[in-house]
Amino acid sequence: MNPEELDLISRDEAPILDTMRRIYSAVPVHHLAAIHGKIVGALAVADAIVDALPLIHGPVGCAFQRKLNPFNLSSTFYDTPCTNLNNVDVVYGAEEKLCKGVVEAYERYSPRLIIVITTCTTDLIGDDIEAAVEKAMEMVGCPVVYSTGDFVGRSRPVGIQDALYAVADQMICRNEVEKNEGSVNLINSPTQRNALKFQEMARLLTQMEIKINKICFDHTTTEDMMDLARADLNITGYRMPWAELMKEKMNVDYCKITGWDRYNKKKDPELISPYGIAGSCRFLEEIARIMGREGEAEPVIKKNRTAAEARLEAASKELKGVKVAVPVGFSLNLLKDIGVDVAALVYRTQTLSHGLTERAVREIERANLSLAELYGFHPELLVNPTPDEELKTFRKRQMDLVMAPAKIAHFYNREGIRTVDVGDFTQKKLNVGFLPSIELCRVFREALGKAKVRSPLLDLMEFDGGISNLTPHWAKTALSFHHLRSKNFRDGYYYHFQGLAGVELNEHNI
Amino acid sequence: MSTIYDPLFDCKMVGALRAMHGINDCISIIHGRNGCHCGALLLQTLGSEQNSVRVLTSGLKASDEVYSGEERLSSAIRLADQVFEPKAIAVLNCSAPVIMGEDVEGLDLLLEGETRSELVAMDVGGPEGPAWIGYEEALTKLVSRMRLNEDVPRGGINLLGFKADDLCSRGDLNEMNRILRDQGLPLNSVLCGSSFEEVKKAPQAELNVLLGGDGLDCAKAMEEEFDLPYISVPYPYGLKKSVQFVEMIGGALGREADPQILEMERERVKRTVERAHMFFQGIYSMPVAVVGESGRAFDLAEFLSSELGTDVKLLAISSSNFATLEKMTAKEAHYQRLMIEPDRWDMNRALEASGAALIFGSSFEKRIASELQASLVRVSYPVIDEISLSDLPFAGFSGIAHLCEKIINSILTRNKDEVKA
Repeated sequence: MNPEELDLISRDEAPILDTMRRIYSAVPVHHLAAIHGKIVGALAVADAIVDALPLIHGPVGCAFQRKLNPFNLSSTFYDTPCTNLNNVDVVYGAEEKLCKGVVEAYERYSPRLIIVITTCTTDLIGDDIEAAVEKAMEMVGCPVVYSTGDFVGRSRPVGIQDALYAVADQMICRNEVEKNEGSVNLINSPTQRNALKFQEMARLLTQMEIKINKICFDHTTTEDMMDLARADLNITGYRMPWAELMKEKMNVDYCKITGWDRYNKKKDPELISPYGIAGSCRFLEEIARIMGREGEAEPVIKKNRTAAEARLEAASKELKGVKVAVPVGFSLNLLKDIGVDVAALVYRTQTLSHGLTERAVREIERANLSLAELYGFHPELLVNPTPDEELKTFRKRQMDLVMAPAKIAHFYNREGIRTVDVGDFTQKKLNVGFLPSIELCRVFREALGKAKVRSPLLDLMEFDGGISNLTPHWAKTALSFHHLRSKNFRDGYYYHFQGLAGVELNEHNI
Repeated sequence: MSTIYDPLFDCKMVGALRAMHGINDCISIIHGRNGCHCGALLLQTLGSEQNSVRVLTSGLKASDEVYSGEERLSSAIRLADQVFEPKAIAVLNCSAPVIMGEDVEGLDLLLEGETRSELVAMDVGGPEGPAWIGYEEALTKLVSRMRLNEDVPRGGINLLGFKADDLCSRGDLNEMNRILRDQGLPLNSVLCGSSFEEVKKAPQAELNVLLGGDGLDCAKAMEEEFDLPYISVPYPYGLKKSVQFVEMIGGALGREADPQILEMERERVKRTVERAHMFFQGIYSMPVAVVGESGRAFDLAEFLSSELGTDVKLLAISSSNFATLEKMTAKEAHYQRLMIEPDRWDMNRALEASGAALIFGSSFEKRIASELQASLVRVSYPVIDEISLSDLPFAGFSGIAHLCEKIINSILTRNKDEVKA
């Protein structure tokens, strides 16, 4: 979509949408007890491009079951036609079927883009997907791209990254493009689809005389995707191999908002977060440098910063000295801006250990502690604490607020400790800019005004001592999942999971 | 015939899972890639039995597709056995390992004596067939685990074709149990809605009762193996079908249904109708559409047409069973148009053309219902956006009030301003 259309998307603000998202937040997918496969990632991309159609090259189950959207369980992938593979196709191949399927899909749905998504069945039988797609393209009036899950290595989520790479490689990157000089694309995840999150950033960049070419994903069309190639720079939320490809093939520069690269160069913990007033200033200056707009940027940043700081002064008055327990990972810059006292840092490494090396896990800990010291916080660090250890520390430190998602808030509330859930803030507001700090003040003030002691019905049931948002049965399910999947599994991470002791491990599991 | 197909039904794996997961002390291991496991887990989790989800993965990875995943699967079986201590472990061998030629059934021999739980392994690759075949095969697979104790007299009935992950299934089972018990017809075993031990004792029953025709292969195998007769009864939606349900089962056992009890039930239903009779009058002739599995949807359509007087414009069978053909050719059809396992795109066009004001279907009909501004009553599998904690049934005499209040409320509660003229 174009930035001038931003005012059209206010309907996405309806509070029920937050609640719909939150009601599924306790379902342990996303590496907790299950990982969605590449197909749903690719479907999420097809779904985010409003006039695109996915075509699943596989049997019916891959089309039916994948209607469940683990990225947003309240939103089903309704159109999932497939090539309906059977045993005969497995033996003789299904390239011809795919070719026919593309033509039929085009005639039936009239899409502007068809994304062919392969499945493990077609990957194993070795269909020549590229050849079938090329042949089909001659017979349809729209681009056809294919995603196999093999284009992006281990970049996660694989299905999303791979489908975006396929779209970039097979459609966006082309020879003749009329450039929109001095412009940038602002790109978030296809699963978020919230251009509003970029509103302030777009306004600041425009004031810096940097044009906004496209903001996606939000009501994004195939034409919008094609137009991405017109910009000078892609600004993405996190690492995206397709943006790297555009840099290589189309000379569209690439800058990601988050990432440890900046920190790694200087080991300066202040560089970890691009958020909050200081982080945003740094990031805006970086964009200005890339776009050659330093002169224009300086007064804009200064003016907006001054205005924001004045508002923040008033907004954060009640928060001064409020003691907060914070999960490692949340931007300490923002907490410094709003004036709270970070009295405890809770570091849960269980799930991290499956995506990061032990060294990286420790580096995150070190960097966050250094940053806390730098900001004058003196937090107690709790690494994978038991519920009792947590409560003991929180009582000792007279904690006013615990940053905790709704799914575990009951645990603290029954003990008379208020909680603040920043999930909606993170989903909808957190970005580069000065307004998120002010908005966070509102979120914290509201939390402090809520009932202190509650008697939640959830406390009638037993939750696991180690993974406190799961019941003991689900905790065992989650830990079994990790055990069976992970190379990095260490029994020691799960002190309470005695059930696994004695289970014979083979080399696949360790 | 089209090459592309947007299916209304799932693959063989999910059919088998639905059967095996109904055994309440059985754990299922999905021997396949992440997506298959995630989908299977979610289908069981997004319902009303979140405290009883028993689905694990074998952890199959891409590298296993080169070097075989049997070792990995063995580890998963051992882990499931020791950590969860189930009575049975179902190993469902999905598309990738089936194509690779993994011998999961041979694992039974390999692990003999190592596990306390019994292993039930089967090939359920996606290209091998639809969910209902997987369901039938899984039930049939259980026959080899059943034992008949000749020293114990036979008694009670088995219900076959029960699906524990249907919306309100727990209420349905309680109600079927109640109305059979009232007639002196106790349940012996429910396939699948019992413990593994109860499933093994299924041959002790006097009769196998197939709900809506589901479970036929299993019933035939049990007849051959244990000389156990079977009958197929309608899924008891509404008054007429509930009476039929009781009378057919009683008849097959040579017992007449107690007319006094049936009269009491009839009186109870009458009082229900009286309480909202004006709205019952109001929905008479309402155009509706039904989307659902063969074992349920034919009977539901008949109830809606025959007893509520609605005009069933379209009946779309999302998933067949062995009785579908017979039902298609029934003399008096209670629907205007019938589609069997249609492509979703075609079905949506038919729904558009039908002018249905109310759709009985699954969660996946939510969008088309919204587009057509029709109300959606969720009765068909899968329902992943509604829960049922009160254990009110859809089936049986008691189900009539619940079903009717859902239907009427789905209309009364609509905000007229949201519906465009």
